[in-house]
Amino acid sequence: MAQHVAPELPKVTVKPRRSGLTNEQRTTILGYALVAPVVICLLILVVYPFFFAIWISFTDRMIGQPGKFVGLGNYAYLIRQPDFQATVRNTIVLVGSVQTLKLVFGLGIALLLNQQIRARQFWRGLILLPWAMPGFVAFITWKLLFHPQAGALNHILISLGLVQTHVDFLSTKALAMPSVILASFWRGFPFWVITFLAGLQTVPNELYEAAAIDGADAWRRFRHVTLPGIRHVILVVVLLSTIWTTNSFEAVWLMTQGGPSNATMTFPVLAYFGLQSLRIGEAAAVAVSLIPIFALLAMIVAKMLQEQD
Amino acid sequence: MLYRLSLGQKVIYYSLLVLLALIIVFPIYYMFSISLKIPKDIYRDPSLLPTNPTIRNYVELFTKMDFLVNIRNSITVAGTATLISVLISCLAAYSLVRLRYKGRDWIGRLILFTYLTPSALLFIPLSVIIARIHLGNTLQGLIFVYLTFSAPLSTWLLMGYFRSIPADLEEQAMVDGATRLQALFRIVLPLAAPGLVAVGILTFTSAWNELLLALIFITSPSKQTVPVAISYLITGDVFRWGQIMAASVSAAIPVMLLYYLGQRFVVQGLAAGAVKG
Repeated sequence: MAQHVAPELPKVTVKPRRSGLTNEQRTTILGYALVAPVVICLLILVVYPFFFAIWISFTDRMIGQPGKFVGLGNYAYLIRQPDFQATVRNTIVLVGSVQTLKLVFGLGIALLLNQQIRARQFWRGLILLPWAMPGFVAFITWKLLFHPQAGALNHILISLGLVQTHVDFLSTKALAMPSVILASFWRGFPFWVITFLAGLQTVPNELYEAAAIDGADAWRRFRHVTLPGIRHVILVVVLLSTIWTTNSFEAVWLMTQGGPSNATMTFPVLAYFGLQSLRIGEAAAVAVSLIPIFALLAMIVAKMLQEQD
Repeated sequence: MLYRLSLGQKVIYYSLLVLLALIIVFPIYYMFSISLKIPKDIYRDPSLLPTNPTIRNYVELFTKMDFLVNIRNSITVAGTATLISVLISCLAAYSLVRLRYKGRDWIGRLILFTYLTPSALLFIPLSVIIARIHLGNTLQGLIFVYLTFSAPLSTWLLMGYFRSIPADLEEQAMVDGATRLQALFRIVLPLAAPGLVAVGILTFTSAWNELLLALIFITSPSKQTVPVAISYLITGDVFRWGQIMAASVSAAIPVMLLYYLGQRFVVQGLAAGAVKG
């Protein structure tokens, strides 16, 4: 029996069903066919606009007119503008402080939730709330909280006797940026806590046991076991979130619109104003001037994420 | 996590947790409470509990203003963008994870970089392009531009999911005579269902929350999505905080409910997608 069947087997498996394609070629064609819709989409919607933005930033384009090439003219103009200078300063302050707050508190809260506490699931669900609500809702709510008459913060501060009269947080130059920072921190920290928690769970228990046997105290265990164990997660979250925070529009637009007198102006809001005033070339230059930093961050994130595969 | 907590530690930890809970819950509570207050009380009566609770703000929002239209627009835009992007993304993610062919690595890199490209960079050229193809002020145009972030997000997260499904299962099916596409639709996709749900929720909510692009591409009130409609409420001359908060609550509840129902999947998916790749 077996001798009759054996010679027939190769015929069945090797012979292609249709055409003269090999299996490998067929896989290639199927691979391209499946990935094509997304790739075409992204070429049209992201890659082309990305380079188009760079080109527009070199022209004096207005709405409805193609404009002519002005080289680095828009950039030279922007650098001299006080609102652009304020934007650069504000972005550094905003991103620097929000990220520091999120790192310190995010890590602290993640460590706290990683302890043997009751109802851990409940606490984790609770932590997620600010992040589960839509960003625009969160920032509008904070705009209300900061309101001089209707806002809760003033009521609390006055009833505690900390201030005598109503404070207009968002319209006072010195207070507007700290207010935006506070709201952005509130909305953004859950993502950090959740990813840090996920990272903490990958640190092997044996390492803590070994450290404990060696007599390491809590700080040393944190310094020599926890931190190295989640270093990678921390770095990726910091970089990703820096890209997101730098480019976030809602917080500033909904709370202060960049004011008072540019105290909270950021890149996306300034670019949006440029578009509203129809000066597309300048607006594009504002957005494009972020590309070098953004590209550097994206390249590091990409490298770190792909290394793990 | 290894150690039993001492009493002192317990006191400190639980006080910190309660403080944290207050900081998290208070703004959300305040939003609710203001949405139930009459305008006079919002400014004059600082009490945390509404003294004359009323649902008038909600009634006005849904009857006198066109908020239902805004909600319908948002559902249309976010729903369609999610359907399209999940559909094309699961094919692309499968292709990138399972099939070996030339250029695959480059396409993977392209997806990752587009995932990291912020819309703040893209809205200016997109506004020129959308105007040129006459899709400005249409919901279709908005759905189209929402693919800028939803397609890379879905693809990137689904790649993580497909990697976690053992390839043996579909190979087994193919040995039994199924074609690769049959294996994909009958074996892999049903197994990836939790992932598809998580990615669907994330894509839907990020489209539901999107403000900048909607603000630029939609000009007539009847086509405004929820975030745009609310943002116009707060930039008007008179702040009707009661209605603004009623609208905020109405906009937040569906999304937060989705998160609550899909919490386990979403958190896993995000942690896996954002950090582990």
